[in-house]
Amino acid sequence: MSNNNVECIKLSLPLNSAYVSAARLTASSVANRLGFETDEIEDIKAAVSESCTYIIKKQPIETSVSSAHENFTIKFFLGENALSVEITTHGPLSGEQDGMSIIMIKALMDDVTITEEPDGATIIMSKEHKESRLFE
Amino acid sequence: MDYTLDARFDQERKGWVVTISGEVDIFNSADMKKSLTELINEKNTDMILDCKSLDYIDSTALGALVGVLKNVRSYGGVMYMRNVKPSLSKLFRITNLDKVFVMEGDDVE
Repeated sequence: MSNNNVECIKLSLPLNSAYVSAARLTASSVANRLGFETDEIEDIKAAVSESCTYIIKKQPIETSVSSAHENFTIKFFLGENALSVEITTHGPLSGEQDGMSIIMIKALMDDVTITEEPDGATIIMSKEHKESRLFE
Repeated sequence: MDYTLDARFDQERKGWVVTISGEVDIFNSADMKKSLTELINEKNTDMILDCKSLDYIDSTALGALVGVLKNVRSYGGVMYMRNVKPSLSKLFRITNLDKVFVMEGDDVE
């Protein structure tokens, strides 16, 4: 992702479900700052929340105690007509699939890419303003 | 932001009316499921969840509600979702759970 001319907000959170609400609050604030409509803000908030849930649930059970002290990163890229969000975690993942989170993320955002590697996972997603879509 | 449950037994409807407020997500969905399950195990009846003050619900909480629903159905009961906000009813629609629960109230589209 080329982000040279785009403002970026980085949030680093512990892999602990207690902080998913902090991710939602930040997502709401950023989407509001970009001028998204109320229903779009709710979509972005839910998609960010589900991405965090997906990544936290992907932590292997045997390392869940120690990984609760590690962090994952959320980056918000504030484009002119769109918001892109990148959520990254490092470390081994469990093989468990969280289908409902993925269904929700894909339904709520315009573009979603989920990449899982042996040493981590990345979710990249974006949403355009309704207004900008009108003129396509 | 946490959540609260306020439960009363409605003699007329012969079911639990539970007002749920705040936000339910991966952090507290298991706790919500435990509380609702305790109610259903105490009285094996219908359950009406009033969601007018529910601000957010995530996939784990929806999954927890499906677990409660199975319990309600095992007693021959019905589970109603009342007054779900439009932003949240969208999440029920996306996951097809609007066809699993009985949705009722002014805010149901």
